[in-house]
Amino acid sequence: MSRSYLFIPGNTPSMIQNLDVFESDSVIIDFEDSVISYDKDAARILINNFLKKFSFKEFDIYIRINDSLNPNFLKDVQATIDLDITGYVLPKAGLEAIEELNKHIDNKLIIPIIESPLALLKAEDIAQSNNVSGLLLGAEDYTKELGINRTLNGTEILYARSYIAIICNAYGIESIDTPYTNKDDEIGLREDSINAKNLGFTAKALIHPNQVDIVNDVFSPSTEEIFQAKRIIKKSEESNKGAFSLDGKMIDLPIIEKAKKVLEKAKKYNL
Amino acid sequence: MKTTAGSLESSDCLITISDSDALDIKIESVVFKQFGDDILEVITNTLKEHKIDKLKVLCQDKGALDYTIKSRLETAILRRGENNE
Repeated sequence: MSRSYLFIPGNTPSMIQNLDVFESDSVIIDFEDSVISYDKDAARILINNFLKKFSFKEFDIYIRINDSLNPNFLKDVQATIDLDITGYVLPKAGLEAIEELNKHIDNKLIIPIIESPLALLKAEDIAQSNNVSGLLLGAEDYTKELGINRTLNGTEILYARSYIAIICNAYGIESIDTPYTNKDDEIGLREDSINAKNLGFTAKALIHPNQVDIVNDVFSPSTEEIFQAKRIIKKSEESNKGAFSLDGKMIDLPIIEKAKKVLEKAKKYNL
Repeated sequence: MKTTAGSLESSDCLITISDSDALDIKIESVVFKQFGDDILEVITNTLKEHKIDKLKVLCQDKGALDYTIKSRLETAILRRGENNE
């Protein structure tokens, strides 16, 4: 369970050596778009040496490898398979790509990036694939394939967002929203994060450390939510009934389960 | 033939290697006085791990940590091998 997934370029020592100060719940070390072809080997060697020297328990580490049709795919996996990482973020994901990755990994999670109309159509099957722990919407490539422009209010990705959030919640996996690409627009980031949360997303991917605080804040339960959740659980334990009334509102199992999730999240993040 | 890896950005180093009849290591670093010996140790140990005893190495350091220096040298060695294939 993470609220924030921060992308870090895989071949930039100044960023890599500060992984533990960004306070993101998860970091995604990137071997794909932020590393030029010539330096893919350098990134693999740098991360291999870095993660053999240091281990981190305070946050999860994922590696975004190159896609399964890229010649670097297998090299990326082989260079990192023995490292203490939580899993892989798989770009241009489809069922075959996930199957291919699963041939090479053991005890590692997979977060496929849904970044094409076809992947969106297959998202329900992708969500049920082995080792898949969440889906990440990659809106830049998704809209590029649709031949449409991104807008600030995100209307063009509303369907994709809604569909991914529903699927992830249906199958009990993480739903990770696409990054907000304007790293200097804090108001826009907060609004975009709230919109995603209101659609059912559990987390958001980030492209800059400056975005961590806002995203963690938005995807954390509020003080009011925690207070209400505690009251619901307390009343539930006292009443010993499947359904009961609180402040004139009917409380039943789904609301009790939701309250438990809120408290679970609050406990994890010391709220 | 020269082979390079790394960069001159902060916290990184640029390693340049080329053929030589002996081990020839040159270090340029803004923190040479404080860490010159440590950088040399990382380079010599990495070369030993790769069983290399004849090579010219230039390390232009911009405050790289030990695993970064080791990584850049290993990348240069890998690229040299690929170029010689």
